[in-house]
Amino acid sequence: MTPTFARAPRVRIEWLVISITLVVAIAIPFYLEKVSLYWLHVLIIAYFYAILASSWSLLAGVAGQFSFGHMAFMAIGGYTSGLLGKYFGLPPLLGIPAGTLVAGLTGLAIGVLCLRFKASYLALFTIAFSEILRILIRGEYGITRGDQGLHLEMLFGATTSKLPYYFTMLALLVFSLLFMYWLVNSRVGLFLRAIREDEEAASARGVDVVRYKLMAFVITSMIAGLAGGFFAHYIGILTPNTFVLPQMGLVIAMAIIGGVESLVAAAIGGIIIQVSLEVLRDFDAWRLVIFGALLVITLRFARNGLIAPLLERLFGLGPRAEKRKKESDSHGV
Amino acid sequence: MQYFLSLCATGLVMGVIYALMALGLTLIFSILKVVNFAHGEFYMLGGYASYFLLSTFTGLHPLLAVFISGLIVGAIGLVFELIFLRPIHKGQIERPSEYAVLVTVGLSLFLMNLSLAIAGPIPRRPASFLAGTVQLGTVNISAERLIAGVCSLILLGLLLLIINKTWIGKALRAVSQDKDAASIVGINPLAINTIAFAVGAGLAAIAGALLAPIFSVTPDIGATPSIRSYIIIVLGGMGSIPGSILGAILIGLVESLGTGYFPDPTRALNYKMVYGLVIFAIVLLFRPRGLFGRKET
Repeated sequence: MTPTFARAPRVRIEWLVISITLVVAIAIPFYLEKVSLYWLHVLIIAYFYAILASSWSLLAGVAGQFSFGHMAFMAIGGYTSGLLGKYFGLPPLLGIPAGTLVAGLTGLAIGVLCLRFKASYLALFTIAFSEILRILIRGEYGITRGDQGLHLEMLFGATTSKLPYYFTMLALLVFSLLFMYWLVNSRVGLFLRAIREDEEAASARGVDVVRYKLMAFVITSMIAGLAGGFFAHYIGILTPNTFVLPQMGLVIAMAIIGGVESLVAAAIGGIIIQVSLEVLRDFDAWRLVIFGALLVITLRFARNGLIAPLLERLFGLGPRAEKRKKESDSHGV
Repeated sequence: MQYFLSLCATGLVMGVIYALMALGLTLIFSILKVVNFAHGEFYMLGGYASYFLLSTFTGLHPLLAVFISGLIVGAIGLVFELIFLRPIHKGQIERPSEYAVLVTVGLSLFLMNLSLAIAGPIPRRPASFLAGTVQLGTVNISAERLIAGVCSLILLGLLLLIINKTWIGKALRAVSQDKDAASIVGINPLAINTIAFAVGAGLAAIAGALLAPIFSVTPDIGATPSIRSYIIIVLGGMGSIPGSILGAILIGLVESLGTGYFPDPTRALNYKMVYGLVIFAIVLLFRPRGLFGRKET
């Protein structure tokens, strides 16, 4: 009986932290709206990057597949909705799902092509796809407006308040995290982790390796496309520069520095890095030098990221807590 | 016909330069089993090194600057390999293949932004080797490109000679085939890894320095040539040296002809890279081990 007593307060701490975070996240825009619209905007963008970083970490950290096309799928979501709106008058509410679908279908095509092979082919193909798509969107300015930017209808029409955008982006973040959390803790998540650890062993135990890799790739591409569609209809303008490769590198840095094996840690990494990029604005180009260096150093010396270990300690998850639990179990007996 | 021949000449010359860069990537991949995602940044650093050498030491011969740039960037590659890649081969890293991808991506992000912070976004153009065009038979070709191509050709020949005829080349080939067997016969695989990475980085830098007078250098210039090199090594067969040379020349020709015969000349350059992506997809569909690749397990 001892273990249940020992664990009870930990559960309470967990819920306390989550509910405080949610209350703060819901209350803070009302305060920021009066003080600084700029920082409200920064938070919305930070949530956007949190969605991208956490969905990338589902693909890379859980399934062990590396895609450099995450920002490209984001852009596909945005551009599909923008172009459908411009040429066919489709409203954003229909354009965003269409963009999500196109991102998913593109992911399916690339996945079918690359996921039969070792992980490096997906990385190589997506990096080429992403950059070439950018060159094409930039070059075909007759259709996409190129560097001048594609103007999009705002999601909430004429309202100048940022509050609806804030809450939509927050909801998008929370729901995508909940969905991915459910996925990772389901059978599918177990299969994906097995594939990450050893493809051949997983395959020998009857896991349809290609199918589950494909599933993870398509789902994360769709999440990127969805986030991109909404982002585009919030910013109101899309240029090919939104998905240059350094921007993809930044999303990777967010996920790794946060902790690539934990969705929540990656999301927090995204929020913290995006906000610190704004705080450190005076350092200009040196900011990204710092984060690039931090990425390499984190990888080498703190493989689980900088935030994931904190979360583990707080919530009592992870290997150390498992060990502690086992010890207390054996003491209990 | 005239037009076709001049396109082929340009394609061949560019192909030889691409081969230099792709060979560096192949060397790194076949020895370390790591795809270097910072290869484009070594190319970019080569261009900057040559620019800053030439603007600091006036009177330095441009071609000498190219080779010194290769040495400088090779040294950067060497230091990076020692600190971040050697631990992989000493078994100190969990899930090494993931680590290798991510750490080179991190290096690429770091180097790109470091050059942006130091040199700024303004394009820099080092002094040209030789202005004007050269007449080869009936075909005109820009002198700069021709010199860059000839230098690459000499260097490629030299490298093939080293790889095939010398002791160190034999050691490189031995490690690429079987690391454990190589270490039994007294080759230190760790040292070979470091040499291969440094040489690979240096080759990318030399390619960058050779092309810098033609295309100018900006911090983000590495993306296109590195992507082209990835396509080339997949086409040639990952890890195959003859494959990467032949693949590079093929890509050079396809790009040159494809751009030259594109129906709408104003948009032709946008599609230059698309051919490579299409070739990449075709290789994955029909011959995943590439032209000369060893069969994948």
